[in-house]
Amino acid sequence: MVYTKKSPALLIIGLVMLAIWYLADSGMIAPYLEHLAAGKKYKYGAELTSLPLYFGIISVVIGAWQQFGSHKEGHWDYYSSTIAGGMFILLIAMLVRWFIAPEVAVISMSMGKVGDTGKYIHKLLGLNYVVMGILTGIIIVNVFKVPEWAKNGVRLSRLGLKTGVILLGTLYSAAELKNLGGLSIVMIGFFVLGSVGMVLWMGSRRKIPNSMGGVLSAGMGVCGVSATVASAPVVQAKSVEIAYTIGTILLWGVGCMFVFPIIGNLLGMSHVQFGAWAGTGILNSAQVAGAALAYQPDGIETLKVAEIFNITRVLVLPIIVIWLAVWYVKKEESATHTVNVGRVIFEKFPVFVLGFILLFALSTTGMFAPANHYKGKYFGNTAESGFKESKLLKADQAALLQGESVKIERADRKEAVQRLIDNGKIMSIEDDTAIRGLINAKLLSKDANKVLKGSHKAVRHTAKKIKAFRNWIVWLFAFGLVGLGMQITVGSMKQAGGQPAVIGGIVGFTKAALSLLVVMLLISETI
Amino acid sequence: MSEEQGYDRGSSLSIFGSDRREDFMALTFALIIAFGVYFAY
Repeated sequence: MVYTKKSPALLIIGLVMLAIWYLADSGMIAPYLEHLAAGKKYKYGAELTSLPLYFGIISVVIGAWQQFGSHKEGHWDYYSSTIAGGMFILLIAMLVRWFIAPEVAVISMSMGKVGDTGKYIHKLLGLNYVVMGILTGIIIVNVFKVPEWAKNGVRLSRLGLKTGVILLGTLYSAAELKNLGGLSIVMIGFFVLGSVGMVLWMGSRRKIPNSMGGVLSAGMGVCGVSATVASAPVVQAKSVEIAYTIGTILLWGVGCMFVFPIIGNLLGMSHVQFGAWAGTGILNSAQVAGAALAYQPDGIETLKVAEIFNITRVLVLPIIVIWLAVWYVKKEESATHTVNVGRVIFEKFPVFVLGFILLFALSTTGMFAPANHYKGKYFGNTAESGFKESKLLKADQAALLQGESVKIERADRKEAVQRLIDNGKIMSIEDDTAIRGLINAKLLSKDANKVLKGSHKAVRHTAKKIKAFRNWIVWLFAFGLVGLGMQITVGSMKQAGGQPAVIGGIVGFTKAALSLLVVMLLISETI
Repeated sequence: MSEEQGYDRGSSLSIFGSDRREDFMALTFALIIAFGVYFAY
């Protein structure tokens, strides 16, 4: 079978990309971009004048070959047949990120802030490029259907998401895990085991088959599709039960993806709080990422926290699989054949999680940024670490701080400011933390606070490599989530109906509500 | 599920024949990007 379609689609996609690049690079759409920026600097200028050019050229060359060349059966034919669909998703992601999402923001801002929330409606509803990308995908698949030439490419989206998850490892270091690891393990352990137990208990009360209850409990408790697939052989689930479970998870996750950011905004949750909640309460890795990016589209601090919780949950998978195997054998005493649990874990454990751990280990060695970096940012007060001598405190600034230091009562803050005055720069990461606390406390005058902020910024640096990784991750996720939307059909949503959906909904809601309570009570850290 | 969706190769969710192969491809791409970033910046 020859997979590559003789279609002008990829060629046209390439020409559209080149047209976008030309319009942006020549300045012809500058007034429109100014309108989208709403009085600020348009954020995506650098991307807009480079990415469509590169991908446009690639698409035109390969598109011309697909349209006019001859194609033979084989691996190259199969894999090249995915390019048109991949570029189609990428083009949608570009249009949504650069034009549609900013336009929605402009319209939303023109309507004013919503009540007492102090936020615009697009912020409250989480209407950004992530959500709109998924929505566009859902609309395309349900209204127009995915074109035949794009079908193979749509199946690349999960590859994009997995690559993005692995690369997230570069953003962490062991120093960060010290703060989050313990809490994420306790929270995830409690909620995963609790959800699995609750589904199994409700399943037996509502008399659904053990295989259905088993596979649904893994899906609802651990990490969605991977856990469903990994646990299915252990509980000997039928394919229709796997499909029901995946349908339930996706339907629940889609709801969460839209509702979580709204609740997060209403409660004014910090990035750490929201990340912990999403990572605990939402089931599917991609949907966790979707909610986190929807909550904070211009940064990935929330995403990183959510992924730490999410990854912790994935690591619980072997324990759940063993538990289900034991539970199933007990329930089905008349089982005719045994299941090799060790082999199931070995065969189904997701390798991409190990990839994340590998890159995390490389990042911890200091390969991409100083080993003590925290979310890509690190402290450095020497020329080698990026400190500029021009940022040293001026005499008048030192005098201002000296004059106001009498207002400071806390010893650590007082000493940190004194060392800053004596040396002209912040001397340690502990002093930096004390001075940030002083700034937030607003004890000193506006001018003195401005001097402190300047000193703080002078010793805080963002690693260029980490910045590059962030861009890669955002694009891989944007690509994956548009493709994910294209896989959500009304049919798959209907499949979640009936008992599995009722049980899934009750357990999902209980977990989301309880984890929200725990997060709000236990996590106070802000970024 | 692949049979239900009528895909000759891969499944409705992936172009690859198994999750494991997709995981290794993702790992390969991620390492290429990581080393690319390492040497370019």
